[in-house]
Amino acid sequence: MSVDLSMPVLVVDDYKTMIRIIRNLLKQLGFTDVDDAADGTEALGKMRQKRYGLVISDWNMEPMTGYELLKEVRTDDSLARTPFIMVTAESKTENVIAAKKAGVNNYIVKPFNAATLKSKIDAVFGE
Amino acid sequence: MTSRKHAAVRKAADGIRKKDDISLVDVLTLAEASIRSMKSFIDSLDSSIYREFRDIAEYIQKTKKEIGHLQANDLRSRHIPEAGHELSEVVTATENATTQIMECAEAILEADASDPEAYKALVNDKVMVIFEACSFQDLTGQRIGKVVETLEHIETRVSRFASAIGAKDEPGTATKEETKRKKRKKELLLNGPSKTGEGVSQDDVDALLNN
Repeated sequence: MSVDLSMPVLVVDDYKTMIRIIRNLLKQLGFTDVDDAADGTEALGKMRQKRYGLVISDWNMEPMTGYELLKEVRTDDSLARTPFIMVTAESKTENVIAAKKAGVNNYIVKPFNAATLKSKIDAVFGE
Repeated sequence: MTSRKHAAVRKAADGIRKKDDISLVDVLTLAEASIRSMKSFIDSLDSSIYREFRDIAEYIQKTKKEIGHLQANDLRSRHIPEAGHELSEVVTATENATTQIMECAEAILEADASDPEAYKALVNDKVMVIFEACSFQDLTGQRIGKVVETLEHIETRVSRFASAIGAKDEPGTATKEETKRKKRKKELLLNGPSKTGEGVSQDDVDALLNN
């Protein structure tokens, strides 16, 4: 399965700078439809309004963390199959294991580069 | 009571028991014998209590002095707010620099490369702005240095105070808000960025996910 560059992507992070960085990287990779949200609650609201082909989310946000967002997405029948990549500074083993158990498709530790983002997106879509 | 004084009390008491009429003098004699017999005990009790209170007073004086050396008011009104201000300035400076750098990068990415001369001029211009923006690191480094200095100052004061009074940590001092935040951090695994050299690498993450 190849990556559909026209699919809508949702970037979730409470730091505007990080959203801008990821948005620019995605643009360089060829993605044309990129939305953003500042936390899990806002992201969930947007996901219920629009079908996203990929969610890229930070972990540590308030009021809803990326971890809680992931669990909400996976328990919602209409959203459960949405590919979900965690991009976060949380780099303890327990975080990775918890995310894996919650159904994350891939996990990127910050700081990261464009090549890593590309390879992890490709891995999610089987490239 | 010594046995001699004890005997004196017993003798006075026995004398009264034998009488049919007990006079006031008899009672006073018995009372006098009792007080005399207990005087040395009461005297010793007074001294030991006096010594205890004196020791307590000295400890209180010492603790007051150490509290004064802590300079808590100075820490609270000057050092800590200044450190907070420095950190706010760091956040602002890094945000501004990042915005500047990103704007330059975006401009370069979006620039029309069909005219090489114009493109080169734009890239040169934007790269110079990026270099200038990077000077934030010097200033933020100095500000962080001041904050570290404040923390070291506080640490020295608190360590000296805790050592001087033999302080022991008491449980149950967290506020409701602190307890709530701690619980949330634990439940949602909010550990934050790891120190350099700690935490899993991307390769470790990949191995964990593929396991």
